[in-house]
Amino acid sequence: MILFLNLEVKAIKNPRRKIRVGIPRALLFYKFSDLWITFFEQLGAEVIISPETTKKIKDVAVRLAPDEDCYSTKLYFGHAMALKDKVDYLFVPRFGGRKKKYVGCPKFIGLAEVLRSMVPDLPEILMPHYNRGMDKHTRIGLLVRAFRLGKIITKNPFVRIRAISKAFKAQRFHNKSMIIDVKTLQKWENSEVILNDFPIYNENERQLKIALVGHSYVLNDPFSSLSIRSLLQDFGVDIVTSEQMPRNLIEKQMAKLEYDIYFDFEREILGTIMHFIESKTVDGIIHLLIFSCGPDSIAGEIAARYSRRNPTIPLLQLVFDELTGEAGMRTRIEAFVDMLRRSIDEKVIFLTEQVRI
Amino acid sequence: MPLSFPYVGTFTYVFESIARGMKRDDIIVPDEPTYRTKQLGSLHSSEFVCTPFKMLLGSIIEVIEKGAYEIVATVFVDYCRLGYYSPLYKIILDDLGYDFDLINLDWFNKVEFFTSFKKLACNVNAVQAFQAFRVGWIKNRYIDQIDKTLYSYGAVEIEKGASYNVAHKLYRQVVETEGMKNIRMLPEIIRKTFDDEVEIDTEAKPLKVGVVGELYAVVEPAINLDIMRRLNDIGVITETPITFTRWIDLGQRMNPFKKWHYKACIKHAKPYVRYPLGGKTRESLGAVIEYKEKGWDGVIHLYPFTCMPEIISRSILPQVSREHDMPVLSLVLDEHTGEAGIQTRLEAFVDLLERKKNDGNGF
Repeated sequence: MILFLNLEVKAIKNPRRKIRVGIPRALLFYKFSDLWITFFEQLGAEVIISPETTKKIKDVAVRLAPDEDCYSTKLYFGHAMALKDKVDYLFVPRFGGRKKKYVGCPKFIGLAEVLRSMVPDLPEILMPHYNRGMDKHTRIGLLVRAFRLGKIITKNPFVRIRAISKAFKAQRFHNKSMIIDVKTLQKWENSEVILNDFPIYNENERQLKIALVGHSYVLNDPFSSLSIRSLLQDFGVDIVTSEQMPRNLIEKQMAKLEYDIYFDFEREILGTIMHFIESKTVDGIIHLLIFSCGPDSIAGEIAARYSRRNPTIPLLQLVFDELTGEAGMRTRIEAFVDMLRRSIDEKVIFLTEQVRI
Repeated sequence: MPLSFPYVGTFTYVFESIARGMKRDDIIVPDEPTYRTKQLGSLHSSEFVCTPFKMLLGSIIEVIEKGAYEIVATVFVDYCRLGYYSPLYKIILDDLGYDFDLINLDWFNKVEFFTSFKKLACNVNAVQAFQAFRVGWIKNRYIDQIDKTLYSYGAVEIEKGASYNVAHKLYRQVVETEGMKNIRMLPEIIRKTFDDEVEIDTEAKPLKVGVVGELYAVVEPAINLDIMRRLNDIGVITETPITFTRWIDLGQRMNPFKKWHYKACIKHAKPYVRYPLGGKTRESLGAVIEYKEKGWDGVIHLYPFTCMPEIISRSILPQVSREHDMPVLSLVLDEHTGEAGIQTRLEAFVDLLERKKNDGNGF
């Protein structure tokens, strides 16, 4: 009893308790998680990340979030609420784009302010603003912003500089290990390597290769994509995701267009689809869209139209929202995979000849 | 080659007069969007693309069916989908098998803008083309003036519909007036015509409501189901700061002393949304405070379904409304919006405003 009391007093009295920074596991977290986590941990803060999406988080999110927001943005609200009482600061960056000329979704910029307005009793939100696309912030500007942001955790400038350099190193390492080069892609196309989880092959079945295309926050979130990756794994399908695609192949495809795709993350999605439509090295493409996502509505339409003009590689577009049922999605993927298997399986084509009387 | 353009509210008149000024006699004036336009547009576009995209696509298909070949469109990089409209129209209309040529006016790329503009002005030289453009922006001011007068006279007129008839007569007069001397006389004519031909009830004390939001949703009566007229019919004076003036009116843009309404609004919106994020997000938020300071009674915020920037302002508007004690009604519009639903909500909103004004103690 005495021991317990002591501990409690210690916890209250100890002013050197680590500052807790919360990061919601949604949207851009899947792209920049290594950068953010390393940065705050190196500064000496305790980083708390919201748990993987569950049904409870979704229910909270759908009740709280604005009706017309896209499904992924709604989930962000749920993740932020899951962190509400556990942290001192909530980290919601206002991110406008990381490259010149290209922008992100406007919701990434407005998200922090919408959260502050809709849930007034949230902990203080850290919202650094970085917009290389439209506001012409420089790379050095990003470092200066990070340096200023670090002041909240520690006043020591050397620690802050070291944290920034380590964070960018971590992010670079993450990108390097995530994005493959053209040679590896060719090896994958020749079935020499496997890029993701090992698919469960059945005997007498042809091994299928599918490009799984979508935003990183859909591909890597099993809840919002209804665990499509493990489903494909069970069907014995080897996948490559649009995140892993070599950048130079994507830029090559984008240069062919007469117009500019200026949504940054949409470039890799559309580029991947166009690359595989042209190279014909996969059996099929599955494109995951999120309902009422603005950029997706454009890229999805362009992809569908190009695929219809050049219909060798089948393209399946699946739209996800909070009401999507797992059974319906499963049936469609199963049917798609079956169709792909039969399309080249010579036995089936011969079968019709054998039936002839 | 017959020239045409999609229908965008009263801006159609401005465009018509620019084209006529460039001596293009082969223009095809688009019709007002109907139910068929909405259906055509949504049939050929993706499921959750924003409503203006669908409406403009429907309008373009209709003018192509009427025989147009050259179609004017706009393209520029913004945070929202507006920059993709023209490329996507090209892909969709190519797939449908139409014969056409889209002429993109890229306002942010000045060189390309004037080369495309020269392509339109094939009958005249550069000076005459610029003169036509100048006449266009000056006429745009007078079209705006007619709109503004109409929205206030419409609320207090004794014979319902009188001011709308006068306005339609005046729109045509503005389009057909030629010669700078005659054009400069127009504001006086507009004021006089309204004074003479519309009998107004001088005793009435109408409510005043500002209408803000996304550009197309505010200026196009087909998507907002003629919300201005509906408000006028229940005796409410309306006004909108959202017009095309700020883009095409180079004369006012070059004037350093001009007080722009949207700049004041953006200043007001700074505590809520600090940085630009496309569309009219900050303007919509700031306009609520601006109208409060002007002593108006309420604000109606319009935006099309799945408009990315306006969803952000719609989420923050309740806070602005609460902190500044200004009633705000947000309406989301798409091609399925029903008239009865809008009418009921407008009437309820106006009733609340009236009660607030008379009691003085809020809701």
